[in-house]
Amino acid sequence: MFESFWRPTLTDLYWFSPELALVGTLVTLLIAPMIVGRSSRNATWIVVLGTLVTILLSWKVGGDVRSAGLSGLAPPEAAGMLILDNMSVYFKIVLMVFMLGVALLWSIGSAKKEKHAEEFLILLVGSALGMILMAGTLNLLMIIIAIELASLPSYAIVAFNKRNRRSAEASLKYVIFGGISSAIMLYGMSLLYGLYHTLDFARIAYGVVADLQAFAAVDVSSVAQSVDASMPAAQNTVAIGVALACFLAGIFFKIAAVPFHFWCPDVFEGAQIEVTTWLSVSSKSAAIVLLLRLVDTFSSATGAFPGGASLSALTGLAWGLGIVAAVTCTWGNFAAYRQNNVKRLFAYSSIAHAGYMMMAASVFVHPDSPLDYSPIAAVLVYILIYVFMNLGAFGVAAMVVWRSGNENIDAFHGLGRRAPWLAIPMLCCLVSLVGLPPFAGFIGKIWILLSLGASGGGLYWGLVIVAVLNTLVSLFFYLRIVKAMFFVDDGQESFTPPISGLAMVNVCAVVLVLMGTLFIEAPRRKAEFYASNLFRPAILKGGMSHAENAAIDATQGELLRLTEGVARIEGERNRRSDRQAQTP
Amino acid sequence: MEGSLLTLLVFLPLMGAAGCVVMPKEMARVIALLTTLVTFLVSLWLIPPFLAGGDAAQAVNIFGSSYGETLHFVQRIPWITGDSFSIKYFVGIDGLSMPFVVLTTLVSLFACAASWNCHTWKVTKNLKAFFVLFLMLETGMIGTFVSLDFFLFYIFWEVMLLPMYFLIGVWGGPRKEYAAIKFFLFTLAGSVLMLVAMIAMFFYSADAVAGGVPSGYQDGVTITQGTFDMIELATNSAIQENFAAATFMGVLPFASTMFIFMFIGFAVKLPLVPVHTWLPDAHVEAPTPISMILAGVLLKMGGYGFLRLCYPIFPTGGHFWASTLAALGVISILYGALCAMAQTDFKKLVAYSSISHMGYVMLGIAVMTHTGVQGAMYQMIAHGISSPMCFFLVGVIYDRAHHREINRFGGLWLTMPKYGTMATIGFFASLGLPGLCGFIGEIYVLLGTFEARHTFEWAVPAAILAAFGVIFTAGYVLWLIQRVYLGPEKEEYAGYPEASGREMAILVPFAALCVAYGVLPKHLLFDYVNGTLNHIVDTMQSSGAITALAAGS
Repeated sequence: MFESFWRPTLTDLYWFSPELALVGTLVTLLIAPMIVGRSSRNATWIVVLGTLVTILLSWKVGGDVRSAGLSGLAPPEAAGMLILDNMSVYFKIVLMVFMLGVALLWSIGSAKKEKHAEEFLILLVGSALGMILMAGTLNLLMIIIAIELASLPSYAIVAFNKRNRRSAEASLKYVIFGGISSAIMLYGMSLLYGLYHTLDFARIAYGVVADLQAFAAVDVSSVAQSVDASMPAAQNTVAIGVALACFLAGIFFKIAAVPFHFWCPDVFEGAQIEVTTWLSVSSKSAAIVLLLRLVDTFSSATGAFPGGASLSALTGLAWGLGIVAAVTCTWGNFAAYRQNNVKRLFAYSSIAHAGYMMMAASVFVHPDSPLDYSPIAAVLVYILIYVFMNLGAFGVAAMVVWRSGNENIDAFHGLGRRAPWLAIPMLCCLVSLVGLPPFAGFIGKIWILLSLGASGGGLYWGLVIVAVLNTLVSLFFYLRIVKAMFFVDDGQESFTPPISGLAMVNVCAVVLVLMGTLFIEAPRRKAEFYASNLFRPAILKGGMSHAENAAIDATQGELLRLTEGVARIEGERNRRSDRQAQTP
Repeated sequence: MEGSLLTLLVFLPLMGAAGCVVMPKEMARVIALLTTLVTFLVSLWLIPPFLAGGDAAQAVNIFGSSYGETLHFVQRIPWITGDSFSIKYFVGIDGLSMPFVVLTTLVSLFACAASWNCHTWKVTKNLKAFFVLFLMLETGMIGTFVSLDFFLFYIFWEVMLLPMYFLIGVWGGPRKEYAAIKFFLFTLAGSVLMLVAMIAMFFYSADAVAGGVPSGYQDGVTITQGTFDMIELATNSAIQENFAAATFMGVLPFASTMFIFMFIGFAVKLPLVPVHTWLPDAHVEAPTPISMILAGVLLKMGGYGFLRLCYPIFPTGGHFWASTLAALGVISILYGALCAMAQTDFKKLVAYSSISHMGYVMLGIAVMTHTGVQGAMYQMIAHGISSPMCFFLVGVIYDRAHHREINRFGGLWLTMPKYGTMATIGFFASLGLPGLCGFIGEIYVLLGTFEARHTFEWAVPAAILAAFGVIFTAGYVLWLIQRVYLGPEKEEYAGYPEASGREMAILVPFAALCVAYGVLPKHLLFDYVNGTLNHIVDTMQSSGAITALAAGS
């Protein structure tokens, strides 16, 4: 009976080793206290080691395997269960680097008085594992598991400071919002499954493109005139629309896109600042990478469609994503202006930045098009830059908050005098977040704008204009912190922050300057490499098995029936007009 | 060596800034002064290649036979290269930018000397940072004038914002924070649409050259990719044709839309009514040396941007908007002058006079005649000399009296005769008295506007209205001199010391330049710039002829 089980080969395990290393870190964290006793110090070292091993393994495995997938229990054709390609490798490395930064920040801050260090780090690493899985899958089942794996530890870690009412409230809001979004997402998924009888998103995308294409092929005016024949396609379109909207809602929740953003400010305010730092980048970027992968799957599906389908079938989807992106970044920037709590302010700032990234995600490019203005590469660079901007800004904010116990902007008053080596990197990070040269934030924005401009058309030029106007709006609230640091001084005493924290934020600032001036090209080149050669299942490449061909036959049969239906309507109409012509 | 001279010039102040950071606090102003002095001396090396520009036979060598054909001190280094784009570190100067570079280094030197007494200011905290930011600002300014790649230009353009924000916001007057954020927001509001224009121009030029077309100004170079090269965008006929014919977002004519996108950014800097309101605030609150920089250099970037980007690249846009822009120019002239007349704050008066003077620049460029554009250029340089001088004159008296109420002054000429003499020269230069620098620019602009009467039916009324600006200017300047410098000596000011050696060392060169530029316009400016300016105007006019032909047929 064991033959029927899936037994991974050594190669499979090797491909999967970065994730296994993270699992190993989790297990070690659980066991270590029993052997060597509880200690934040040891636990931090375990995490640092585990993270470094994960980075090394990802890099090594990524170097050996360019684009592949594991199917696990599903048939091998549905290989999108666990994907190992350049983009997933990139995301693993960037996320792990960011986790190192967060662990460092935690170790100089809350770790000192934390009695439950192991539990905290387990939740942190656990959510990281979920995010990594999220960035490397094309299977509906896996998507929901990954999202839950990322979310559940996040709910707990937000409430980690359990004596704090705000933390508890934030966590509860997070759980409720998260639960409802998951439910909506599952509903969307069940509709998709019902429509296409598969959990493999590549097949679903293929089917969606086929249906949308068929719908576009039907002459709409004739549908309006006479009712019956073309209705299946029209009904399908509505079902597809509902299904995709519900499905995307779950992802939008993780991105904190408007209107699924309400949890974000409360959670960011209630959580410890290290947790806020972690959530600000990780959950958003993981969901953005997942979104990019879905969008790329749609684009590839048009390329693989027999006889060729055009991207225009996906226009509605592009507009939907684009409008959500534009509203998200505008809303985030306007709402941030009214905030006095620094963590809330950064929450809205992160919503706005997610909006910028989503703009690039709304670009559907043909899979064979060159990578020059690839939106995927643009977002990958942006995520990298965003990691440094946020690590720097949150690092400074954390040190200021720990010092003063005050999370409002007035804690920053006179920081330019009190701790100049915190204030200057903070300035660099803030200006970079606005997106002004000579800092890297500008470059990140430029790549996104170039990918939008390359697509041209009303939607994308509109998004370009929305994005640059948002830069202006965001200046208002970032400058409030700058003003507090340098223009207002209410005589709070100077202080010397911990040296490792100083080193971290200053390194971030220097990286931002260098990536904004001398080293603009290198990160872009790297990102282009990592955005290339994405994993695309066989169905998206034309080389298909018998079952897949059968599926396509069925789809084409559907199309044929539609065409016949149209022909029948046309004939009917012709006959009618003939009759009218005959009876003068 | 010739190639890297401009790079050296751009980054010298930055090196000085680094020097300020590492050296002890007391040394900061010395290092800053030395840096600006060396930068100024180095910038003088830029002049020799333009020396024989007045000679017809030599002019072709110096300016080429068309726009952008001959550039000097060119340095072109690949910076960001993709498969289908290439952003270059591309610097170079021609007749248009050379005077601005020298003006920048000169005004920076004097502004640095003007901040020598920084320890006596109201805000004396962290003066080291003041000089560091000052030198960063100078790098940004020089960089903006010398960069010929739009991407590089944009970076330098925005790099200026942050130092200026802090210079006003930390060391300024009572409402400094408001003034600083207003300056930042207005300038950024102008430049965000410039970013859209930059990206759009890149992709539309890529469409135009898709098959590979010969470069518009470099011999034997074929362009196959979209470009950020400002000269290429203006000279390549394939790109120009596509720009004139294309539409943006499906409905808007590309050229005139992009023209306006860029124009807004430069109009804010110029500043043009109705986007001028940041200027009086910024000027009044900024410390004296920063006002000098603002008036002397930053305002010129608006006019420079028109002549470098808007008009050569989108001449059809220039024709399309000509009447609107000329109207805005005339309104700026009159409104600025009337506002100046109403001021009781000395510095605010000078600030509004700047708006009025910059209106002439807009008018001169908007009519697109040779004379008008030359006048606009001359007006910018002349204003770059006279207005920092005026601001410094205000600063000198403010240091003594600690107020700027015009009506409380009186008889200062008797108290401080040397200072009074300098002030008279400075304000008369600003007034546009014949024989001083302000006159040439204004008269050229007016003549140029009349000259355009065959092209534009509104040219004559515009010129007549603008000429009234001269009278208003005379009105407020004469009234100002009467109230502040003439009349009986007031007891309140009787004991004031005469202008010190340092102050005279700044005022005398400025006064000398005012006189020199009033009597030797050809030898001091027109010979260096006319070659390039005429090429630019020829470009605008030829495309205008095409437009007219298309409209007629």
